[in-house]
Amino acid sequence: MIFKNKPLWGKKKKLKSSYDVVLIGGGLHSLATAYYLAKEHGITDIAIIEKNYIGFGGAGRNTAIVRANQRTQHNVPLYKEALDLWPVLTKELDYNLMFNNCGNLNLMHSEAAMKAARMTIATAQFHGVESHLIDAKEAKEMVPALNISENITFPIHGAMFHPPGGIVRHDAVVWGLAKGAAKKGVEIHQHTEALSIETKNNKVCSVTTSEGKINTRQVLISAGGYSAALIHDMLGIKLPISVLTIQAMVTQPLKPLLDHVVSSGAYHCYANQTLKGEIATGAHMDPWPNYTTLNTAHYIKHQAEALSEFLPCLRGVRFMRIWGGLADMTPDMAPIMDGNNQIEGFFMNCGWGYFGFKSCSAAGKYMAQFMATDQCPDIFKPFALKRYEEHRLMGETAALVNYTPDN
Amino acid sequence: MALTITCPVCGKRNGYEFKYGGEEKGPRPEEKDLDPRAWCDYVHMNKCVAGVQEEWWFHKDGCGSWFTILRDTTTNLEIEKKEAQNDEQV
Repeated sequence: MIFKNKPLWGKKKKLKSSYDVVLIGGGLHSLATAYYLAKEHGITDIAIIEKNYIGFGGAGRNTAIVRANQRTQHNVPLYKEALDLWPVLTKELDYNLMFNNCGNLNLMHSEAAMKAARMTIATAQFHGVESHLIDAKEAKEMVPALNISENITFPIHGAMFHPPGGIVRHDAVVWGLAKGAAKKGVEIHQHTEALSIETKNNKVCSVTTSEGKINTRQVLISAGGYSAALIHDMLGIKLPISVLTIQAMVTQPLKPLLDHVVSSGAYHCYANQTLKGEIATGAHMDPWPNYTTLNTAHYIKHQAEALSEFLPCLRGVRFMRIWGGLADMTPDMAPIMDGNNQIEGFFMNCGWGYFGFKSCSAAGKYMAQFMATDQCPDIFKPFALKRYEEHRLMGETAALVNYTPDN
Repeated sequence: MALTITCPVCGKRNGYEFKYGGEEKGPRPEEKDLDPRAWCDYVHMNKCVAGVQEEWWFHKDGCGSWFTILRDTTTNLEIEKKEAQNDEQV
């Protein structure tokens, strides 16, 4: 291990008995929050508490795709800002995040899907995000490997092309943000488990960890797929979340053939070619909630079938590595960003589903503002937990996502 | 990840024959005097247990029964109800 003696984020320090801010979870949302708290608000007395190692969860398991062509007016500006931040962070952190804005091609397989894409594109364009509709022939010109014949399960009618999106090296973001935050004084405590949060008069007063108790006024749970269980276990707050394993895999390295991120909702499949030449591809989530992060024969077969239909040149190619991560899905497929609401000094950042990577920089930036000022930034207001009981769900999905026999 | 589920009618079957139906949340709340918060709690809110939970399943490719089982969400293995009661896990 090259970093064994001197990790980029400083030497291991002994946990202190008090910090201004405690962040539970050592993933990208926590690291980004810590970085922006230190950089923009001068708050540096921060402990990041991570049970395993930084980037253990979704931060190191996602398929590294970034884009800002979501569906609603509340979500698009947040993802746009996150997308715009990659080159800025690369400079600021002095760390190559390997942002490759190769563009995303979202395949459409019916006239109804093309119609839905027109609406999504109109939303993107309204918010200044480049996105346009192309037909199957144009898609074929862009990705010659694409099968646009009628002879497949879901023939390609066209695609939503989103040039500013692409791929960011996810591990580099973890290391870069950890280095940037540590340089400003943030302490990263790996292999330290948060056990409970203590409150007094409905205010946060301390966090108990496996390495001792920390007195603090503010705590954020930002632990990706594990957030919902932690928030329920520690504070008894139930969330409208279902946690599901989502599986991914890479093929053997191949000569360059795929210059864009290609995704298909009908095939439940997305793929891009990494700089090493491997085709990295991900599937839909498991059909029932679980924390296994295991792969199943069912999905490996599904990926192979899907890829060999719309990218037939991949027939016979081998999968070299397989892995899984967790997606914490909400019914409206939009995150829950809340704070000082249920308990004073308690903040939550969860429910990102499979959008956690793309959003981490902007979500961290505004969560830092929220925690530093105790005022919810306008951009976060629609994402409060209360929206569910007020029945103001977001339209990121056309119909409720509910893990029941209805769908 | 071998998921098998024991249907009360058909017995132990492949998990892919079934559809997950959500966490067991007790009886549906009475509509009289129901406030939005209690309804939201019943409809949307979950405990997201990382461990053994009681949950609903529907035998979609079988007899069409609705029933609850205990399953460990960290292993995907069904736990026998008797076994769990002996361990006082319920």
